[in-house]
Amino acid sequence: MGGPVPTEAWVALSAALFAIGAIGVLTRRSAILVFLSVELMLNAANLALVAFARQWAVAGTQVAMSGQTVVFIVLAIAAAEVAVGLGILVAIFRDRVSTDVDTLSEVRL
Amino acid sequence: MLVFIVLSVVMLIGAVGVVTLRQPVHAALSLVGTLLTLAIAYVQLHAHFLAAIQVIVYAGAIMVLFLFVIMLLNLGGESPTPRLAWIRPAAWAVGALTAVAIVVTVYADPRALPDAATLAAVFTGSGVEQIADQLFGPYVLTFQLVGVLLLTGIVGAVGLVQRKAAVSASAQGRAVGAAGRTPPQAPPMDAGATAEKGR
Repeated sequence: MGGPVPTEAWVALSAALFAIGAIGVLTRRSAILVFLSVELMLNAANLALVAFARQWAVAGTQVAMSGQTVVFIVLAIAAAEVAVGLGILVAIFRDRVSTDVDTLSEVRL
Repeated sequence: MLVFIVLSVVMLIGAVGVVTLRQPVHAALSLVGTLLTLAIAYVQLHAHFLAAIQVIVYAGAIMVLFLFVIMLLNLGGESPTPRLAWIRPAAWAVGALTAVAIVVTVYADPRALPDAATLAAVFTGSGVEQIADQLFGPYVLTFQLVGVLLLTGIVGAVGLVQRKAAVSASAQGRAVGAAGRTPPQAPPMDAGATAEKGR
């Protein structure tokens, strides 16, 4: 039972989180719930990056820490994405009093 | 290992909650649970600085923004009848297949973890110094680009949400039309639109 958890287990957990997030993006109809699922997918990718950063500790501090640095950058991008996405959501809601993505089909030919 | 099992169970319950709960507020709070367990996972993986950032930025700032928008828009639950009924089982099948494929790929090529001495030598302290070395060293261009991206995001968000008098008048007309299609949830935005129109 003791000892460190292998990287494979962490990546498997990350894969499960990513798949659940992808299912949410495909099945949810309220735009804000689609956004929450996208956040879940981003976090699954972050977990895999941190797990691989630990795995690559043998290659030295530089390589190991670049994994964690990328997670930091992904966090900043997620913040920007949420700001713009929620702005779009508010604009859509003002226009049609609903955020149901099923009804947003004007662009369809 | 015990910590990992407990963490993964809580994390997966939270994730399934995000995907299945009907009320947006419940789904958002469920995601907060997942994000907090992820912070604990980062501590387990020697990423102490990222764990702190995860709690402060993700579970704090970003989720507050989400809850604020849910509150502002007064969003209710989803209607139970989807337009594409077949997409739900198809999505679960595709998701399960993806997860299984990734797990099989990872376990097909297992690697031994570096020994404890190496880990202790590489991950010293909280990791702030090492991340800063990377961020202002090899990743400095990315750092600058993220700065530009954040600025563009702020300008874009303000531009999207800001409204002009003419636009708000036409939007109000369309909103009334849309309200006819979906009767419940009296739009809270209309009061503001009327007030701005009067100016």
